[in-house]
Amino acid sequence: MSRSTFTPRRLAAATVTVALVVGVAACGPKADGGGSGSKDAAPQQGGTLTVLNQNPQDQFDPARLYTSGGGNVPSLVFRTLTTRNRVDGAAGTKVVPDLATDTGTPSEGATVWTYHLKDGLKYEDGSPITTADVKYGIERSFAPELSGGAPFLRDWLVGAADYQGPYKDDRGLAAIETPDEKTIVFHLNKPEGDFPYLATQTQFAPVPKAKDTGTKYQDHPVSSGPYQVVKNENDGAHLVLKRNPNWSSATDDQRKAYPDTIDVQSGLDPAVINQRLSASTGPDAAAVTTDTNLGPSELAQVKDDKALASRVGTGHFGYVNYLAFNTKVKPFDDPKVRQAIAYAINRTSVVNAAGGSSLAEAATTYLPNQEAFGYTPYDPFPAGATGNPEKAKELLKEAGYPDGLTITLTHSSETGKGYGPNLATAVQDGLKAAGITVQLDVLDGTKYSKTIHTVGTEPGLFLAGWGADWPSGGPFLAPIFDGRQIVTDGYNFNSAQLNDPSVNDEIDQINKITDHAEAAKRWGALDKRIGEQALTIPLFHPVYKRLSGKDVRNIVISDWTGVLDISQVAVK
Amino acid sequence: MAPQEPRAGEAPAASPAAGGRQVWRRLLARRTVLAAGLVIVLLALIAAAAPLLSAIEGQDPTSFHNDLLDSAAGGVPTGSFGGVSAEHWLGVEPGTGRDVFARLVHGARISLLVAVGATLVQVTIGVLLGLAAGLGSRLLDQLIGNTTEVMLALPSLVFAISLMAIVPSDFPRPLLLTLVIGLLGWGGTSRLVRAQTLSLKQLDYVAAARLAGAGRWRIARRELLPSLAAPVITYAAVLLPSNVIGEAGLSFLGVGVKPPTSSWGQMLSGATTWFRADPMYVLLPSALLFATVLAFTVLGDAVRTELDPRAASRLRVGTARGADGPTADGSGGPTPTGPGPSNAAEEATA
Repeated sequence: MSRSTFTPRRLAAATVTVALVVGVAACGPKADGGGSGSKDAAPQQGGTLTVLNQNPQDQFDPARLYTSGGGNVPSLVFRTLTTRNRVDGAAGTKVVPDLATDTGTPSEGATVWTYHLKDGLKYEDGSPITTADVKYGIERSFAPELSGGAPFLRDWLVGAADYQGPYKDDRGLAAIETPDEKTIVFHLNKPEGDFPYLATQTQFAPVPKAKDTGTKYQDHPVSSGPYQVVKNENDGAHLVLKRNPNWSSATDDQRKAYPDTIDVQSGLDPAVINQRLSASTGPDAAAVTTDTNLGPSELAQVKDDKALASRVGTGHFGYVNYLAFNTKVKPFDDPKVRQAIAYAINRTSVVNAAGGSSLAEAATTYLPNQEAFGYTPYDPFPAGATGNPEKAKELLKEAGYPDGLTITLTHSSETGKGYGPNLATAVQDGLKAAGITVQLDVLDGTKYSKTIHTVGTEPGLFLAGWGADWPSGGPFLAPIFDGRQIVTDGYNFNSAQLNDPSVNDEIDQINKITDHAEAAKRWGALDKRIGEQALTIPLFHPVYKRLSGKDVRNIVISDWTGVLDISQVAVK
Repeated sequence: MAPQEPRAGEAPAASPAAGGRQVWRRLLARRTVLAAGLVIVLLALIAAAAPLLSAIEGQDPTSFHNDLLDSAAGGVPTGSFGGVSAEHWLGVEPGTGRDVFARLVHGARISLLVAVGATLVQVTIGVLLGLAAGLGSRLLDQLIGNTTEVMLALPSLVFAISLMAIVPSDFPRPLLLTLVIGLLGWGGTSRLVRAQTLSLKQLDYVAAARLAGAGRWRIARRELLPSLAAPVITYAAVLLPSNVIGEAGLSFLGVGVKPPTSSWGQMLSGATTWFRADPMYVLLPSALLFATVLAFTVLGDAVRTELDPRAASRLRVGTARGADGPTADGSGGPTPTGPGPSNAAEEATA
């Protein structure tokens, strides 16, 4: 696989992973509202659910969407071979069959994956869904004009690295075989035990070749899910979805599809969204948001209002905010200096700067604190809640800095994103106690992202974050610590530039494992092993809090997305 | 708002040497002016004594106090009025627990220093270029005139933001703020001085000096500058409050002082989302900013009225509010709409 073809896609990977967190992260009344009295009645069919969002759904082509588990609104229209389990909490990190009868049958050491379609699957026009359509849907995602999806298909499928899509090359991808209408076989160039997770992304949605209108397809994609698009105004700024009469719950046990209509309005200010949800008047009573969290100040207001608090949902999306080191820059090439900083971090300040203990959980592990990722608790440089300046000073002395040290921390100018001035100041204040003077270097958002992800310009110490494409240790650890993923001519995420053959080899070994629980254990052990090298300092795992309208029922928040699943929501 | 070109000939021709003391006495006789003056003196004292004041309180502007925050409620200060207590006179900042009083008094330093410094830069450049345009060759006049025009037409906020962004981050930020605001806002002064120079140049005493063989520089220094002092001081007095807002605006937008340094604009920027949950935190920097700008504006307006006899006489006959707020009577003096930074202020408060 040529490196240059995948570098620009990695860029998409990063930015969208971040966008996802903002976009997908959400919550509905879960446990913290004390069971929320609103969930007592059985969910009813019918009504209109309003979605109030900041960002327009300006991509609605399944080839171009970059989602985790198929997305929230997109997953109402597109069914995929597999999908995420639509249940609360940790069980929601499981992958379950959707169009397929199971999550896939691996063979030849997890390099070949076979799926069979369920019976009776239909599009919105009543025509049958075939595996040829699934294959075609994947192929068109390789077309340059329909770019935007995750880079994995190009990296994993045999001979796909330079494939230009069905419009230019109608021979298609030989790596995908469809021996009959119900069977589809994928040939991968290396073992990938996580393939069923990849098959949740919208690229695995069927697209009937006869109805494909290229870049215009997104205006009216042919629905395989419970809803079809009846209106798409201003490039996704206003989306109206109505029931798809040809969808049947008999073939889909995941999507509940209670409301008759779903009205997605976007372009709203986050403060306005939260204000409207909290007021909950008129149509806003049956409203949710799929992209707006409660901020710290809004949380402070909710605190004193029991009724409002019961409408706040809490969710955990697998994400970590951390301090990243460039080990090629002095003095961070010295492990003792990195360890000293790790000891000196005041995580209480950091958590408060990130919005307090309700919005951020202090982290000492790189992997999110969820079993699905392989979470293995460890704390190689115990700093306690407020840092251990004595130990830090001791290490600095050993490293040859008995009189303290002055370093530069690079951060973004964007507040509220986990890389901004608030967090940088909290880190700065914590290190002061250990005799480390931190100078702050601020860059504006876009420039920041480019600077920290380019090998030549990467600063010595900066704020970063990572979220996985699906709940597994692989997409969490490999892009950051696999030495073969160091990209010198594009976006690079291996910021420590670690290239340890034993780590690379272990990543390959774990990718062969098809049993998720067993793989998770190995990912956890690998995380611990890497963590001891102090290449990053995990700061916190964010928590998502979201409001929903007072007439909204049946709120389900999985740990896969950390946000309310719109396919489960009912309105009174 | 389009910057108004000061019209030639309408300028005050008050003789500064004779009237200086008298003007001063008349200014002090006005109660609003006295109050404004007191506010400014007080602010200057606060700014000068900031470290002393926070030391008396027993706090410093950068120390975190996590124990004073309700972490589970988004990091809002515990206790009423944003955590007001005997230790923290005006409460603490949400999210960090830093002392608000200490940050406010230290912030005053930045606000005043930058505003005064930027005004000096603006006036110096404006006077020099205005004189050069008025006394120099036609070509030079045109060159300076066009440059001034460009400066006045520049969307200065956008320009200031990009300037702040490209300068290396180890450059001292308060100095940078001063320079950026100063270098972008001299257009009005330059025009005013040029117009004054052109009209003064025609007067007999200047002609006499020229006939006596005085060079341009000598004429500028000995004959023109004393007469220019009044309008320039007037203009500077109205530039100053808009520079206070300019600094606050840039810091509000995150391109001003670097953390953990505090400035009122930076505090306001962090406070906006908290206006419901912690109103104290928003009100304090807003109130100080408001008081400062009001005091300077009142003072500037009074100075203008006193130094411009025509405007003064018209005001005395006409409305009374003229003394307390910017007048829009177009009576010749420069309007208090500073060219650059006032835009920043509008954007920032929008």
